[in-house]
Amino acid sequence: MLGEPLVQIKGFRMDFGNLTVIRDLSFDVHAGETFGFLGSNGSGKTTTLRALLGIYQPTAGTLHIRGKVFEPRDGARLGYLPEERGLYKKESVLDVMVYFGRLKGLSRADATTWSRTYLDRVSLADKASTRLDKLSGGQQQKVQLGVTIMNDPELLILDEPTQGFDPVNRRLLMDIIEDQKRAGATVIMVTHQMEEVERLCDRVILLKDGAAEAYGTVEDVQDLYGGTTIRVEHTGPLPASDLYDITLAEHNYAEIAPRAGTDEADILRELVGRGVGLRSFTTARTSLEEIFLRVYGDQNEPAGA
Amino acid sequence: MAQHNLNTVIGFEFFRTVRKKRFWIATLAIPVALAIVFALVFISNQSTSTAAENQKNAHLSFTYTDESGLVTAALAATYGGRKAADGAQAIADVKAGTLDAYFAYPPDPATQPVRIYAADKGIFGNGTYNAVATQVLAAAAQHKIDSPQLTALTQGNVTINALTYKDGQVSGGISAVIPPMLFLLIFYVSIILLANQMLSSTLEEKENRVTEMILTTLNPTTLIIGKVISLLMVALVQMLTFALPVVIGYLFFRSNLNLPDLDLSHLILEPGPMIVGVLLLLGGFILFTGTLVAIGAVVPTVKEAGAFFAPLMILIFIPFYIVSLIVSDPHALIVQVFTYFPFSAPVTAMLRNSFGSLSTVESAIVIAELFILGFIALRLAVHLFRYGSIEYSKKLSITSTFRRRNHA
Repeated sequence: MLGEPLVQIKGFRMDFGNLTVIRDLSFDVHAGETFGFLGSNGSGKTTTLRALLGIYQPTAGTLHIRGKVFEPRDGARLGYLPEERGLYKKESVLDVMVYFGRLKGLSRADATTWSRTYLDRVSLADKASTRLDKLSGGQQQKVQLGVTIMNDPELLILDEPTQGFDPVNRRLLMDIIEDQKRAGATVIMVTHQMEEVERLCDRVILLKDGAAEAYGTVEDVQDLYGGTTIRVEHTGPLPASDLYDITLAEHNYAEIAPRAGTDEADILRELVGRGVGLRSFTTARTSLEEIFLRVYGDQNEPAGA
Repeated sequence: MAQHNLNTVIGFEFFRTVRKKRFWIATLAIPVALAIVFALVFISNQSTSTAAENQKNAHLSFTYTDESGLVTAALAATYGGRKAADGAQAIADVKAGTLDAYFAYPPDPATQPVRIYAADKGIFGNGTYNAVATQVLAAAAQHKIDSPQLTALTQGNVTINALTYKDGQVSGGISAVIPPMLFLLIFYVSIILLANQMLSSTLEEKENRVTEMILTTLNPTTLIIGKVISLLMVALVQMLTFALPVVIGYLFFRSNLNLPDLDLSHLILEPGPMIVGVLLLLGGFILFTGTLVAIGAVVPTVKEAGAFFAPLMILIFIPFYIVSLIVSDPHALIVQVFTYFPFSAPVTAMLRNSFGSLSTVESAIVIAELFILGFIALRLAVHLFRYGSIEYSKKLSITSTFRRRNHA
């Protein structure tokens, strides 16, 4: 059951000079859900988020949070981790965290306590007095994430949050995001890590050529793109057929996408009937990774934001 | 909440500046240099006055001849001199090293040189002969006048109280010029101390890629006002640090440092010029602050900001090239241009205000111009920061920020 729309985008268009980055984009993000914002590089994801947050002025359309154009109201409970990362590099970790905590409405004491607790959790407790530019890139990312989630944001917008993290810290970050979700935050996440989307997101939107290519729950999108993938380990050649498309063919291994109106049993009969030796035949939902490759596989990186 | 955030920005910006070693090294460099200069002056004055005193009171073994009739034997004796019977013999004695010096006073010492023949005691030591020869002659002249009062007058020890009138009223003269001129001094000091920091205040957000975090947390107007206030506080700390050694030097070592004895009670605070001075200072400060912050929002790096910074600085110094014209002919075309051109107006108008040549109407026009343009510049700075500073590594097209806004 979806909650009230917290974010509503209707008829959004964004031009930079003669370049149209977003043509006509509409979608909602509901309170309490985790929403995946997907698209290839340059498809307009960051532009949309910046327009939603009032950093860019839209060419047309409306972008609302709680029914209003976002203004950087003092003390608003928004957490935004931008794609372009950065903090005051010449200052100490704790000073910067307390500064942002104060700007987000915390008292100095609360901001200090919160910051120390967070730094302890992300194994940076001994770096509290260290200047930010003395930290590694990954450590700076952790500090920035801490600044983002201070004061329990009701809306958390994360633009490629795992960028620059090693697998261990990526797991830690995912845990932190899940904690925020459990605490009731609505999360909008831009990422190219499809396993993160499958793990965390309730609904997704795929952006292509400045418009929504697909929009709905993860299952809806998987169904839209065939829903099922058949994984086959075989001996001998795998013949082409009108019943399926071979999406991946390696030595004695293939992934097959059933064509419309065809089910797994039809394909199994076809393969056996044509004398293919089968060592295994399994079905799975089409992964978002496969869908992503299918949707954007033919694209060169377009220009634009 | 807005006030809370303003205070937070001011506190953060102020303390992170004054906590840096670099800030104190730069700030203390000037008073330390001043203290060193004062110390050198002090030591130098001590040794100079001691040397002069020693020279003046030096008792030489000298002889003299006096064709002017001014120097008496008794007077010469008090300085260690005795009359020479023969000048040529005296010179021979000096050459032989049996006599320190021989002074030959001419018939008219006021127009003719006093000749000194003396044993060489080095460049500085030789000054003793001049000092003693002159002192003997001066004492002889004073003895001739025989009146302490007349002696003081001949030495120019006179106190004069002058009254000058303007429009039928007693004018303040230099005592009325100094107080409003102080606003000009404050303007220069504050702009020189703060200009670079104003320019780089918003550049830092861009260079550190922190703009988006800030813009989604805080109203940009609050940020910029907070930064400007914190910069003023930093400048105040710097001014106090610079002024401290001067005040200490003036209060405790004035005579040793040869500082003039300023009688502040003679200064005249005329309400009109003082009010105009304050308003010109404020208006000029707002205009320059807004402009510098706006430039910071447009350019991507401090280096590129230099191209805009230099002309602005030239504009506040250029009126001094025509200062004599500003004082003597305030209605000259170039003075009028400088009075009304926004970036040269504060200095030119403050100079004219101090010298009493800025009329009420002119004052009103310049003050209005500075405040209006200053607030426009500040609004523009906030606008450019909000819609332009996201262009992290590119120089911003100002028109594009307005075009985007108009589409909304």
